[in-house]
Amino acid sequence: MKKILLILAALAGFISASAKTIELLNVSYDPTREFYVSYNQAFAAYWKAKTGDEVVVKQSHGGSGKQARSVIDGLPADVVTLALAADLDAIARVGHEIAPDWQTRLPQNSSPYTSTIVFLVRKGNPKGIKDWDDLVKPGVTLIPASPKTSGGARWTYLAAYGQALLKEGGGEAAAREYITKFYRNAPVLDSGARGATTTFVQRGIGDVLVGWENEAFLALKEFGADKFEIVVPSVSILAEPPVAVVDKVVKRKGTQAVAKAYLEYLYSKEGQDIAGRNYYRPRDVEAQAKFASTFPQIKLFTIDQVFGGWTKAQATHFADGGIFDQIYQK
Amino acid sequence: MRTLPYPKLAPALLASLLAAGALPAAETDDLAQLRDQLHALEQKILVLERKQEIRDEDAAAAAKAAPKIALTDKGFTLASGDGANSLRIRGLVQFDNRLFFDDSGIVNNSFLLRRARIITEGTFAKNYTFQLVPEFGGGNAAGATTPSILDANVGVNLSPELQLKFGKFKSPVGLELLQSDSWTFFDERSLVTNLVPNRDVGAQASGELFGGKLTYAAGVFGGVPDAASSGNADFDNDKDGVVRLFATPFKGDPNSALGGLSFGISGSYGREKTASGHTAGYKTDGQQTFFSYLTTTIADGHNTRLSPQLDYRAGPFGLIGEYVRSTVEVRPSATGPKKTLANTAWQVGAGYVLTGEDSSFNGVVPRQNFDWANGTWGAFEVVARYADLKIDEAAFPTYAAAASNADEAKAFGLGFNWYLSKVVRVSVDFYDTKFDLPTGAPPVSTAAALKQNEESLISRVQISF
Repeated sequence: MKKILLILAALAGFISASAKTIELLNVSYDPTREFYVSYNQAFAAYWKAKTGDEVVVKQSHGGSGKQARSVIDGLPADVVTLALAADLDAIARVGHEIAPDWQTRLPQNSSPYTSTIVFLVRKGNPKGIKDWDDLVKPGVTLIPASPKTSGGARWTYLAAYGQALLKEGGGEAAAREYITKFYRNAPVLDSGARGATTTFVQRGIGDVLVGWENEAFLALKEFGADKFEIVVPSVSILAEPPVAVVDKVVKRKGTQAVAKAYLEYLYSKEGQDIAGRNYYRPRDVEAQAKFASTFPQIKLFTIDQVFGGWTKAQATHFADGGIFDQIYQK
Repeated sequence: MRTLPYPKLAPALLASLLAAGALPAAETDDLAQLRDQLHALEQKILVLERKQEIRDEDAAAAAKAAPKIALTDKGFTLASGDGANSLRIRGLVQFDNRLFFDDSGIVNNSFLLRRARIITEGTFAKNYTFQLVPEFGGGNAAGATTPSILDANVGVNLSPELQLKFGKFKSPVGLELLQSDSWTFFDERSLVTNLVPNRDVGAQASGELFGGKLTYAAGVFGGVPDAASSGNADFDNDKDGVVRLFATPFKGDPNSALGGLSFGISGSYGREKTASGHTAGYKTDGQQTFFSYLTTTIADGHNTRLSPQLDYRAGPFGLIGEYVRSTVEVRPSATGPKKTLANTAWQVGAGYVLTGEDSSFNGVVPRQNFDWANGTWGAFEVVARYADLKIDEAAFPTYAAAASNADEAKAFGLGFNWYLSKVVRVSVDFYDTKFDLPTGAPPVSTAAALKQNEESLISRVQISF
């Protein structure tokens, strides 16, 4: 019996000795690829210096809603960094992989960076797009993604709907009429924000890409400022992409500590700097000052102010049979 | 992506015409309108193409995520879209005909359902596996043996370098024993397999090192006598430790003639204590018993096995060789003196695939299946083997009867395998086994099977998937 115990102890020692590399899976939404490639390298260096352990972070990207569905269906994400709080709520409510209080675990509603919705037009702005009203004029072709699958597209929808609701003489009827015209001008809806960028930038379809500010900056950087330009509307929505540890998975894998640290490090000086460099608006005041010239000042409204929070907005606008389903003609 | 050549040319053509002042104002307006219409048309076509592209992407993603069902020569498989979970049903049926020549009228010519198995295997969360194999075959003229659990085990695959297995499975000592029952050169394994443990209950760690050039297995098992399989529980308090190292040093080198050379060594060490005989008996290629201990003999003490082994494959040629030395401490009765007996065996087997396909440890895959209508014949292989098993002379007469046992069997085999497809094999094997009788034995053994050499013809029709 002693011999068996010795063999088992040696085996356990071998297993623990070989487990020096920790692997995390970050399930994120479409446009964060480049940001998290940089951030993962920085975090791995930080964690190595702190603990001596290697961390390899794998990334999975897609439409935010699709990604949430995948996690609910068993994709073993250690952390989720999605576009909408509603998607994390769904993971908590349907799959029970995340604790219901996830939003209170990290500062600023667990949103370490923000963004907003802007317009990307072709160089010279041939259709003369200046603000939201220009988007619903006849003959203007819009390229948003589908709010049924894309988190960024839901922010886009709410930005469009909200500005119509808030403007002078606006209201529910005007907002509904506006959003109907908006999607009437959108001949194709991609499932994610990156797909919409591909449609507009690489396939040459449409006059205006309506979507994430960071995605618009990235298109300028990658494809050239001589081909496109950003139009900033007078008002838009404050998008707060949330992050959370997937409790069930990290408990099973034993990665609680490193997954928690991974998200907390997003709020560090370095994390905030990397966010700014990748065109996400940082939360940290110093970082905001550093990137002040990058991000134009826009009047921003929040989802809580205009729509009463994500739960209500989700049920009213994006649930099956909601306003989007009613107004969107396939 | 396709583009329309005409719409791209049209603006340039219009611009050059306008610059040349070749057109009056009204016609210029018409052309500008035409240009806008062409642009709108181009956009419509691009939108249609993009929509189709998105539909194709969605369909591809849906197909990737959808559960997969496959019925192939590897069995019936159900798998989740990501491949992390799967269930596979396989099967093995072997139907034999045994004919013995000049054997003094022993009733042993028979048809036999040698093996009949439904094999269920599965994977969960990519890293956790199981295997469940009941055996319905075997038995004799009196009827089938009671169905038994041949293999039932759970695997935890931590990495290619470290895989754990728990339950009942083959003890990793004998090389030919570790080869699938379906794909050994001959229908029956050689005399050597008499000296190694078969299935046993236990726990094992195994893995591949250096890019698969070295495999290892180390385990703790309940311990079974030579050639025996465990029941579903250990039969005594003591355990056997088993270790095996097997190297393929030139693996993956396309320029080396030794790319198919593998060799290694395995061994076991443990203690047995049982009231029954140490083995049920050692058997010939024709599966007739030529040696067994007295029923009063018991194993009581340490046992060891050591087996250097070799496998070589080069195109259609294949070779397998192994040697086993098995020692056991026995007593003639519960109170008799203890004695260490050492039995040894070796074998060399070779095969050549006449139709040119590669010889393999995992069977031959014909280039073309046998198809009567199309005139294709599958693959043909000839095989030969020589094996020898010696019993320790000290076994006689205290621990085994000299009059009814052989102390050595020397077996020569010649066979022909016809692979009708990857899953169906028909084989005919001829075995000639000569026996030496121990000192003190009468000139002719009292055992009917040992009164003459064993000459047998064993043929088999097999399906294995």
